[in-house]
Amino acid sequence: MGDIAGLVGKRLGLGLIILLVISVIIFFMVELLPGDIAQAVLGQGATEENLAALRKEMGLDQPAIVRYLGWLKDAVVFDFGSSVVTQEPVTSIIGERFAKTLFLAAYAAVIAVPVSIVLGVLVALMRNSIFDRVANVLTLTSISSPEFFLGYILILYFAVKWGMFPAIASLSEGMSFVELLNRAFLPALTLVLVVVAHMMRMTRASIINLLASPYIEMARLKGAPPLKVIVRHALPNAWAPIINVVALNLAYLITGVVLVEVVFVYPGIGQALVDAVSKRDFPVVQACCLIFAATFILLNLAADVGAILTNPRLRHPK
Amino acid sequence: MELTTSQFVIGYYTFLLGVSCFGAYTNKRQVFMLAFSLTLVSFVLGIVGGAAALKAIAICAGMLAIAGMISFGFREFLIQIAEGDFGAGIRNSGSSSVVTLILVAACIVSGVMGWGFTEILIAITILFVVITSLNPETAKELRTAPLTAAFGMFVIFTYAVAGIFAPWIAPFGEAEVISSAFAPPDENMLLGADQLGRDMFSRIVYGSRNSVGLAITATVAAFILGAGAGLLAATKGGWFDQFMGRFADVIMSIPSLIFALLMLSIFGPTTPVIICAVAIIYAPRVFRLTRAVAGNVVVMDYIEAAKLRGEGMWYLIRREILPNSTAPLVAEFGLEFCFVFLLVAGLSFLGLGIQPPTADWGSMVRENATLISFGDITPLIPAAAIALLTVAVNFVVDWMLFRSSGLKEQ
Amino acid sequence: MKSVKDQMLLDKLADAARTGSISRRSFMSNAITAGLTASAATGLWSSSAKAAPQNGGKFRVAQHDGNTSDTHDPGTYLSYAMILLAHTFRSYLTAIGTDQNLAPDLATEWSATPDATEWTFKLNPNAKFHSGGKVTATDVIASMNHHRGENSSSAATALLASVVEIVDNGDHSVTFKLDSPNADLPWIMPDYHLPICPANADGTINWQTGDGSGPYRLVEHESGVGSRLVRFDDWHGEGAYFDEVEFIIINDPNARQTALVTGDVDACSLLENKTLGLLSRNPNIEVDNVGSASAITIPMHVDVAPFDNNDVRMALKLAIDRDELIEKVTYGAATKGNDFHHSPAMPYWPDDIEQTPYDPDKAKWHLQQAGAEGLSVSLSAAESITTGAIDMCILYAEQAKKAGININVVREPNDGYWSDVWLTKPWCLVSWGARPTPDVMYTLAYKDDAAWNETHWKNPKFNELLLQAKAELDDVKRAAMYREMAIISRDDGGAVIPYFPNFVYGRRKGVKHTGQLAASWQLDGARGASRWWFES
Repeated sequence: MGDIAGLVGKRLGLGLIILLVISVIIFFMVELLPGDIAQAVLGQGATEENLAALRKEMGLDQPAIVRYLGWLKDAVVFDFGSSVVTQEPVTSIIGERFAKTLFLAAYAAVIAVPVSIVLGVLVALMRNSIFDRVANVLTLTSISSPEFFLGYILILYFAVKWGMFPAIASLSEGMSFVELLNRAFLPALTLVLVVVAHMMRMTRASIINLLASPYIEMARLKGAPPLKVIVRHALPNAWAPIINVVALNLAYLITGVVLVEVVFVYPGIGQALVDAVSKRDFPVVQACCLIFAATFILLNLAADVGAILTNPRLRHPK
Repeated sequence: MELTTSQFVIGYYTFLLGVSCFGAYTNKRQVFMLAFSLTLVSFVLGIVGGAAALKAIAICAGMLAIAGMISFGFREFLIQIAEGDFGAGIRNSGSSSVVTLILVAACIVSGVMGWGFTEILIAITILFVVITSLNPETAKELRTAPLTAAFGMFVIFTYAVAGIFAPWIAPFGEAEVISSAFAPPDENMLLGADQLGRDMFSRIVYGSRNSVGLAITATVAAFILGAGAGLLAATKGGWFDQFMGRFADVIMSIPSLIFALLMLSIFGPTTPVIICAVAIIYAPRVFRLTRAVAGNVVVMDYIEAAKLRGEGMWYLIRREILPNSTAPLVAEFGLEFCFVFLLVAGLSFLGLGIQPPTADWGSMVRENATLISFGDITPLIPAAAIALLTVAVNFVVDWMLFRSSGLKEQ
Repeated sequence: MKSVKDQMLLDKLADAARTGSISRRSFMSNAITAGLTASAATGLWSSSAKAAPQNGGKFRVAQHDGNTSDTHDPGTYLSYAMILLAHTFRSYLTAIGTDQNLAPDLATEWSATPDATEWTFKLNPNAKFHSGGKVTATDVIASMNHHRGENSSSAATALLASVVEIVDNGDHSVTFKLDSPNADLPWIMPDYHLPICPANADGTINWQTGDGSGPYRLVEHESGVGSRLVRFDDWHGEGAYFDEVEFIIINDPNARQTALVTGDVDACSLLENKTLGLLSRNPNIEVDNVGSASAITIPMHVDVAPFDNNDVRMALKLAIDRDELIEKVTYGAATKGNDFHHSPAMPYWPDDIEQTPYDPDKAKWHLQQAGAEGLSVSLSAAESITTGAIDMCILYAEQAKKAGININVVREPNDGYWSDVWLTKPWCLVSWGARPTPDVMYTLAYKDDAAWNETHWKNPKFNELLLQAKAELDDVKRAAMYREMAIISRDDGGAVIPYFPNFVYGRRKGVKHTGQLAASWQLDGARGASRWWFES
């Protein structure tokens, strides 16, 4: 197991370097955006004088590199500064929103991951049957509709026509857990529909990929029933690519939900990020992007560790 | 002749039971299972939904049957062409790649110069490539293709024709205002009008050129970038491999929608920028996959042997590594292709998509999306166009994947 | 035939009946004097009295355009969500009433010196902040000074540029001293940037805590998400019938409308015009479609070729089919424009000016006069300007083709449009928020030396009339001047003004209002929360 600890340590170190590079990229991309914070805040009504006054008030009269280094100096001790526009600390702006995003992602993942893996095993078992084709067509159709459109359709049926779930998922404090689940059901379902197809298809593909291997042939010749062949013999060796795709989709559930948040009025982190970009509020943009990047890096690391743990051959290298 | 409801219901069940019995009698297990399970389902649905539900099932089954027949016909058609081997002469003369290059160059020149016959040139090029690649060998493989794959190929063929010959097929221009807003379908307009009174059908046809063109260009660009870098990294190894790997990590860690949003805000939402942004976003994924697949191939003995023979890196990549790693790449292509559609549609949701009045399916869904809340199906038409293409592409991909997995059963 | 005066009397009576400030007996006698038959008067009494506002309930509003980075700083108010909120928990010196006239808010009355260079506002002695203190002249002065001076970061500095000094008269009134006459100063006071906030000891204002003197007290607020308010029982005004008010920020039009349809909210701002017809078929929903003073303009720089030739300008004004644009871009929810920036929702609107028609042939004739046949011009626009902005330009281009004009629509990025395109490109699309009076609007964008003179238009007669009208306290004379300015602007000005977009918002059946709505903002001049009520 020492190998794994070493791997985790090395990857975490690398992850920090990646985060640093990302912070540089994001900072200068935000700098390159046309217009600046003062203009975004004052809008059409800006005149040269009050633009200058506002810039000075926000500390924008310093050169970009100085501002970046100032930000970096605080960021290394986990002080992400305050929003340039509202002067509120970044952590208080995005802390609660990130928790809500995590809740929605977890909700969707708890449904989507088991469903897609079970479905994937089933369609691999019944490959090329009617069931396989129907499952394929349905999941492909669901991922080929834009998310916001899927959301609109779900709202039309589940909220407007049948009145089963609320159309807007605004959460407030003091709601019971069941109520939270009820409120967030439609956005979670939209996300499930979006990610299931990818994971199911990868499960199916990686299992089918193994079915021609000699050892599966062997198991089949021994007379093992097809389900047992797949679950006991094929699946353990297929975990690595499946876990990879699952990690990719989990990351998507956290980082890619802007549209679903907008459609369902869910107060998550995506909306805050888009707003911050339009206002050029770089500390908030930075913090959001770094959170997303860190999530992605950690999930990837977890996927790699998972792949090693589930694969006996990788677990005990020669 | 009008059928009464009871006549229809009786005929319906008679037909299904007849087919089931026929299947059972001739030992066609699949036919029997299908027909009989459909009968059982119809019993339940017929009780719940009445004759209307049965009619819906009948219509669906009819459409499926038509799709099946078309697919079957199209597959046989392709097999016939392949066995006829019209491209043999050109292939044997060894000039096929030269001719292809000349044709592609002609297409590009004509497109840039704005000559009127670019469409025809492109069609000839594609036809040429398809015919030269169809030979008795492929005929054998085509025979193994399931009907779904044939259906996929037929749909792709239809979209290609619609896209290439859009100006001839579409009755009106893509920006031409011809009636009032949201006019219902009539003899002039097959699918009615959109929010400005433009012909929906014409815009769908033009959309197949604009949207599919953009998606293909972007995906191909992502694959050239990603697969190229991946193959190089796998063959060269060392610091180059490390550097590219970390570089890909950096790009992948930035959420794609935000990255696209920043890029498009900085450089303006023009088509080349959209293509570049999408290519940059998706290239790292392709890179990782290629690197992983090629990494497994590189350690094989035959690569070692080729290296000892003193083959150059270019030869190694082209003749040894690439042919042995195409299958997963092709599968990835199918999915990435539809993700690109979705990303572009998502961008248009944030107001940064393809420029109007250019017809683009994603934007067309976006522009009228709210109508769906009132049961108006206008936004469903472009959405269905995207879905059909995605399903079709992935059917073909599934077949290729299945073929390359070496599974020979069933 | 009832005279106008009688009609006004009847309206007032109906209002009084509604608010319960008149007995049935005196209502009847007054109505009959005004020329109504006894039975008609009874009918009016019962229909008005039934609409008497009732207290109670929690009013939930779905509001568009809220941003995570919104703050309570009135100087940087920009999003509609903050404007609505400001009118609900803060107070202004004056307000725009439901009859589109100036109404009292914190100031009970106001008067000017005869030369209109000094304005005195008397403050309401009952007005209190939610935190307990009285609203004093000091608070008013501090609130105004927030937008004045060189170091102010407020977007409203231009509005108060002519104010030289604000004096506390010591008798609960303030006097604004101006460097030039301005008969419209009280009309500037309802501008959304100018609410009265409590003053700090050092002369600045305390905007951070969310204290105000409005009809509702702010309980909870999260920018970009929503706010919750409860009734402030010591409010100085009339109304505020709801016990509680909740604003929910919903930026997506579909989500907003769905929330209204499913009853998750009681009212909803900015309905999408596209689905207006479908939505109004819903029996549970009432749609309010109110003509406004906001405008879409297409200004040309009149000192840049080819726009320096008035025949070219006339040709472009004749080559636009305003009716088609209104039908297809706004789905009928707009008031036709006539190339002068003065909407029917503003006071002094001249209703007898001949409309410039869509006439491609006449446009061609003008082009011939200018020697500019086959004119080709570029029009810059961005989608964020207004709903369907690009669609609108494309339609205009198609219409202008019939007049032999080739308009090349250039789509500019949304970001930086106001800094890089507006006032810079010779021809572009612009949207203007509602301004209260023609004087404010003309001074801001059509006066020869205005910073935002978007057409670079310098017409001496127009500018002379503008200054005269500004100093004129007689309404009839002022109206005549504005009529003349409108004609000059239509025939010589540089802006094509296709239409004034309406405010379109919706409410559930149970939410009632008097039937008259202020046209200054969405949701009854952003004061729906204090003017509307639930029917029990």
